[in-house]
Amino acid sequence: MLNEREIIATLEMLRNENLDVRTVTMGISLFDCASHDSERFIANIRAKIMRLAGTLVDTCDEVGLKYGIPVVNKRISVSPIAVAAAGFSSAEMCRIAGALDELARQLRIDFIGGFGALVEKGFTKGDLALIEAIPEALATTDRVCSSVNVASTHAGINMDAVALMGRTIKRAADMTADRDGIGCAKLVVFANIPQDVPFMAGAYLGVGEPDAVINVGVSGPGVVKKAIDRAREANPDLDLGRLSEIIKRTAFKVTRVGELIGRTVSDKLKVPFGVVDLSLAPTPNVGDSVGEIFQSLGLKSIGNPGSTAILAMLNDAVKKGGIFASSHVGGLSGAFIPVSEDLNIAEAAKNGHLTIEKLEAMTSVCSVGLDMVAIPGSTSAETISGIIADEMAIGVMNNKSTAARLIPVPGKKAGDRASFGGLLGEATILNIPDDGGSAGFIRLGGRIPAPVHSFRN
Amino acid sequence: MKKIVLFVLGPDRPGIIATISKVLFESDCNLEDVSQTILQREFISIVIASLNESADEKIVLEELRSHLEPLGLYVHLKTMSGSPVLPQHVGESFVITTVGPDRPGLIAGISEVLARHNINIANLKAVSRVDQQPPHYITIYEVDIPPFTDFHEFRTALYARAKELTLDINLQHREIFEQIHQV
Repeated sequence: MLNEREIIATLEMLRNENLDVRTVTMGISLFDCASHDSERFIANIRAKIMRLAGTLVDTCDEVGLKYGIPVVNKRISVSPIAVAAAGFSSAEMCRIAGALDELARQLRIDFIGGFGALVEKGFTKGDLALIEAIPEALATTDRVCSSVNVASTHAGINMDAVALMGRTIKRAADMTADRDGIGCAKLVVFANIPQDVPFMAGAYLGVGEPDAVINVGVSGPGVVKKAIDRAREANPDLDLGRLSEIIKRTAFKVTRVGELIGRTVSDKLKVPFGVVDLSLAPTPNVGDSVGEIFQSLGLKSIGNPGSTAILAMLNDAVKKGGIFASSHVGGLSGAFIPVSEDLNIAEAAKNGHLTIEKLEAMTSVCSVGLDMVAIPGSTSAETISGIIADEMAIGVMNNKSTAARLIPVPGKKAGDRASFGGLLGEATILNIPDDGGSAGFIRLGGRIPAPVHSFRN
Repeated sequence: MKKIVLFVLGPDRPGIIATISKVLFESDCNLEDVSQTILQREFISIVIASLNESADEKIVLEELRSHLEPLGLYVHLKTMSGSPVLPQHVGESFVITTVGPDRPGLIAGISEVLARHNINIANLKAVSRVDQQPPHYITIYEVDIPPFTDFHEFRTALYARAKELTLDINLQHREIFEQIHQV
């Protein structure tokens, strides 16, 4: 017999603490769709995606009903288009993006990821064509997401790619100037991108992955916050060691839910189960915020001194609890601090508690990086590249994934508000010191060598 | 061997199970299954025991009554019938939870929907939360849903009934609770 306290506790997590499965993402390899003719390639990917993911949304909804746990987003990640469609021009790449967008609409998928390239060591013709196509592809589609990996611990940092991505981000913002540069909200620059991320905008299916796979992204910042609040109320003397244990246990529970839902969806669709990404991913809703956890742990606001230490503890406790709960953990797995997507973090940025410098420091211990950071539209491409380079260096040197999703909001300046709608949220534009001081460094180009600790062979 | 079912009800106090088991032991009965629970201050226990064909259950009952009735306990004993009445479906276990203001007819309303869909209640627990205003009533049903049940039709009927009763209801597969709370 089940324990009634456990049943009531689960109900509370579900009702009041936003326990859900944030995303079930089906990875689909497009390598066997290759063709010399782009129309044929598009027909092949359409047939394959429809065949594998035709019932993805209905299956997720059905499984969600059975367990009483909603699957909030259903998504698809595909092989990096720069590889799968390597022979095509940038105009053809844009048509492929259009076809992916249309497929996502038909399948009622909210995002499809993988319009990306892996260029940490250098460019192929396909990589260059794809990066060239990104601004237009993101301006003319709603559901396509793009990620470009420009650095890795093994390869170092491709500074030519960092420079190119600075210019690409500027163009993507300009082409969606009427929507606060929303194109950039669907574009992320990575170091050490995992091959199995289910979360957007970074989701893609790596080249070492199976033909099709189900990856699950769990969430639950609200559940963690409430668990901390309850524990502190019951015992005000709890210290950080004990509180970290509570976070760990909570992450365990949340991950178990994701694992169960993921495996059930995978069984029903007869597609192998990949990983659970046990990240704390916030949404712009009250009670579903990572920033609020910092307040529950004694800070007035995220961004106050102490924030990096809290984030380090939080990230580590989430990983520990999650790893025990799941047979295969992957993706980013940690705490996200996306500024516009988290009401509390957005508020901290607005009130001046959180600056770009503090955010960067915090990304050295979190699982993503500078995420959904709105910056002044006048920020130069070289300065954006400088910020990306710093972020990539943190990832490369610490042997972890880091990313930059920066949105230079056209026509707006620091302190103005930018709004991206829905899950992408809204945020105050952060001040970026931009006196052109990074340009000389960015122009040098080349590749920053891999760090000594990458040579483990 | 034959089996008896023993039912004991009355005000709770230490030593009830000790008395029951001592009498059964001395009557050459073998305890097979025992369940006991306490609701508020009332003790309830159901015991299934086996005894030799030659033994007389009337004597066992008299012996039990002589020990338990002075403690204010009601004792009932019956011979266990052979085959189970229930069809033995291999169904799936779900948990239904309802939360709402206490009023008469809540369990009657929900269990009618279950009975109509041929869904058996394996466990039922109802708890009054008098600490909340208005006082809340939480019921937890563990049920077995047979494979031939139209899940969507049942779910719709259940949620509609809960709405009529102004109950907040949740229907979830049992596995979710096991996964979350059991290592």
